Amino acid sequence: MLAGLAGEAAPYRKLLDELSGLLRAYYARRAPPGIDAEDLVQETLIAVHTRRATYDASQPFTAWAYAIARYKLIDQLRRSRLHLRAPEEAADALFVPPGADAAMAGRDLDKVMADLPARTRDLIRETRIEGLSTREAAQKHDMSESAVKVAVHRGLKALGARFGGSRGD
Amino acid sequence: METDDLIQTLSARPAPIAPGAVARRILAGLGLGAVTSTLLMIAWLGVRPDLREAMATGMFWVKFAYTLLTGLFLTAALTRLSRPGGKLGAFAVAIGVPLAALVAMAAVRLMRADPEMRMPLMMGATSDVCPWRIFIIGLPVLAGAVWAMRGLAPTRLTVAGLVAGGCAGAFGAAIYGFHCDETASPFVAIWYTLGMGAVAVLGGVAGSRWLRWR
Repeated sequence: MLAGLAGEAAPYRKLLDELSGLLRAYYARRAPPGIDAEDLVQETLIAVHTRRATYDASQPFTAWAYAIARYKLIDQLRRSRLHLRAPEEAADALFVPPGADAAMAGRDLDKVMADLPARTRDLIRETRIEGLSTREAAQKHDMSESAVKVAVHRGLKALGARFGGSRGD
Repeated sequence: METDDLIQTLSARPAPIAPGAVARRILAGLGLGAVTSTLLMIAWLGVRPDLREAMATGMFWVKFAYTLLTGLFLTAALTRLSRPGGKLGAFAVAIGVPLAALVAMAAVRLMRADPEMRMPLMMGATSDVCPWRIFIIGLPVLAGAVWAMRGLAPTRLTVAGLVAGGCAGAFGAAIYGFHCDETASPFVAIWYTLGMGAVAVLGGVAGSRWLRWR
């Protein structure tokens, strides 16, 4: 390091080379998931270089370099905590318009019920999803209440048989 | 491999670093801040008109010694904290020595004073403005200290901010001493210390944000 501070390129390069090996080992065990240890190695090497004036020649070089490595690790953790948490929530709001969940579920439901008779489909949708009572659905379709119940029950049973595995009988 | 390229680039032509670069940067930051603070104090409050006579009294110098010594000890502490892994250790005790001496002096003064004089000795005539003025006069020094530290490599940011603030407050108080005509040691021990402490608290609170470097 003293040679590096004096401006000698070759011994300084050797030092950085050896240091990169130490740092790789240091970060291999400590880098949090999702953070590239090699990025931290490089960041620390850059910091070692740009802040080399703060090395005190009367102190051990490795202690100084590891203090920078530790600072970089903490800094990275703090930054990823700050930057990941807030935008993640915001991103959900950005990319998923309101009501999208319901629309997607509706589309899936249409697909699932495609094979049922049209009236059974409407009855299931109205009584089970839109929240009509059996009586209201019966009036709407000019059916008796018990006929509505039977139709819904049969429709659900048919769906169960197709998608619910062994539970349909 | 990328890291090898990086090492190649970094070590290609390392500019030599002169010894003492850390101390020079800290002195430059504090010095520039102190000059600004002095100009601010002169323009805003003015130097006390009886400065010449005051400088013949012991209490003027006690006040000056307390603030300046505290500032110098904190400058040394700041230099320690500007290096990676730097900590205060036992040096923290030294920082409190001038304050302890002043408090002892103030205690003796209060004990010897007539009971009805004790409140005036502590409150003086300007206790309501003194800490605030010291706080404001300390701000340019704090800015200089923060500038200096950001170019170095502190790793204990809150402690470093606290020390930078205390240092700025102490030099700000030393500068304010050329305006303020309070002479009682109990007054200085309370209100000067409070003003210095306020800048220290600001530095400590903001340290982890202001002193972060990449």
